[in-house]
Amino acid sequence: MAIFRYPNWRWPDIPGALEDFERARRQMDRLLSVFTGGSSSPASSGVFPPLIVAEDENTIYVEAEIPGIKAEDLDISIVGRTLTLSGERKAEETPNVNYHRRERKWGSFRKALTLPEEVNTEAVKAECKNGVLKLLLPKPEHVKPRKITIEGE
Amino acid sequence: MADTDLVIEEKKEVQATGESTRDVPVFVPAVDIYESENSLTLVADMPGVPMENVDIDLDSDQLTIRGRAPQHEEKGKALFKEYTYGDYYRQFTLSSDIDRERIQASMKDGVLKLVLPKAEAAKPRKITVMSS
Repeated sequence: MAIFRYPNWRWPDIPGALEDFERARRQMDRLLSVFTGGSSSPASSGVFPPLIVAEDENTIYVEAEIPGIKAEDLDISIVGRTLTLSGERKAEETPNVNYHRRERKWGSFRKALTLPEEVNTEAVKAECKNGVLKLLLPKPEHVKPRKITIEGE
Repeated sequence: MADTDLVIEEKKEVQATGESTRDVPVFVPAVDIYESENSLTLVADMPGVPMENVDIDLDSDQLTIRGRAPQHEEKGKALFKEYTYGDYYRQFTLSSDIDRERIQASMKDGVLKLVLPKAEAAKPRKITVMSS
């Protein structure tokens, strides 16, 4: 049996397989957290922001959850096949108050991701709505799959 | 730049099932709560939830926050996922009396801010000592 490393490795093409796996993982984490005292190791990279990456024939889709980060505090760059997201989540200025709870985190972040394919950097679209960043990275013509028709006699 | 590095806080699912009829996970949003002289402010991270999908309910001293994630359109084939879409739900019991008429809620960049002004009776009162 051969084990391939990302990016050669792909999820099997079963609808909902990833969601089922995610659900199973969360349930397993919850079960195991009884023994580990609540600290379950997430399957993610642990580096902010959390991402969802998907692709189809023409485009790579990258989504990131960045609540409370303004567009001007976020830097997106693509060099070759490396996409880098960096920026800072700033703390709110709150003079003369007493905190009862402080669960929201702030600080700077930098995350690099190797894209599975080259992208056409000229045509990249970015949108930030309700604290979710959505990137559309179109693939250049030469990496798109080409359908070859067989000519009959 | 701040010298702290942000790490992913994995979303925590609500343990007691909130009896949701939708087949989506329900998460506990991270919140900040601070109190000033005149008001109590609650800030909650609810990425992916638009303003119109937030429900705030104050029943006697029980404050309930609910955020419904819109239907997520799956694009292409997923390569990897570090988070899941879902709803948010959290409940608090408020200690001080709140002026219900003047509660203000706003939503920006996936962050809910709720300003709960204190009722006159609950505000600290300064008592001046009269000289005779």
